[in-house]
Amino acid sequence: MTPDDLVFKALADPTRRFLLDRLFERDGRTLTELESELEMTRFGVMKHLRVLEDAGLVVTRRQGREKLHFLNPVPIRLIHDRWIDKYKERRVSALLDLKTQLEESA
Amino acid sequence: MTTATATTTQVYQLFIKATPEQVWDAITKPEFTTRYFYAARIELTDGRRRAYGPDGELWGDSAILEEDPPRRLVHEWQALYDPELAAEETSRVTWEIEPQDDGVTKLTLVHDRLDGAPKTAESVAGGWMYVLSGLKTLLETGEPLAG
Repeated sequence: MTPDDLVFKALADPTRRFLLDRLFERDGRTLTELESELEMTRFGVMKHLRVLEDAGLVVTRRQGREKLHFLNPVPIRLIHDRWIDKYKERRVSALLDLKTQLEESA
Repeated sequence: MTTATATTTQVYQLFIKATPEQVWDAITKPEFTTRYFYAARIELTDGRRRAYGPDGELWGDSAILEEDPPRRLVHEWQALYDPELAAEETSRVTWEIEPQDDGVTKLTLVHDRLDGAPKTAESVAGGWMYVLSGLKTLLETGEPLAG
């Protein structure tokens, strides 16, 4: 799978999006903290975090005895640049063309 | 992204098709930094990391805490380009460069010790993303990021 595939796959699950939103609110959390916000076994949460890590959306770092999970926003930015910006600009310019046409014919 | 609570540690990680040496040069040599880092001339000299704006104005002048080319660079961070940010406490930036398979290098940037610099934390969040995606584009295509 390409890096983009891994990101889209990781985002295609509500639990994993929930985990990203929790980290967006407050970054650098332990597994125990994240687990406490979900009705799910520790093993289940670990599996989801692994998929997010494989996609590069979550990066773990050791701090003392704890392993902290951080949201890495770079892959989403790269997806945005590649897949969203491009189409957004075309949409905007199509609307601007429409506006010009309507105003000229008015 | 403005609704997020400012946290005291920010982590950014990306993979770049380049060697660790190329990544090191790109983050430490002014001929590269001017092409993606808000046109800043960044120089490492005498244990300081200095950044100059396009008109030679001093944007940053911070102590280098660790320098281990081409693997690791740690320096303090204090933005001088904005008086509000300059008034905040000094924070810390760590660059970790790790070779992967197939000529790919993993770059991790950690900006921490931001407890006493909430405005800096908010300000750099979008900035690092811009800088890092520009760095990746420059190294992979030889061209600065458009726009």
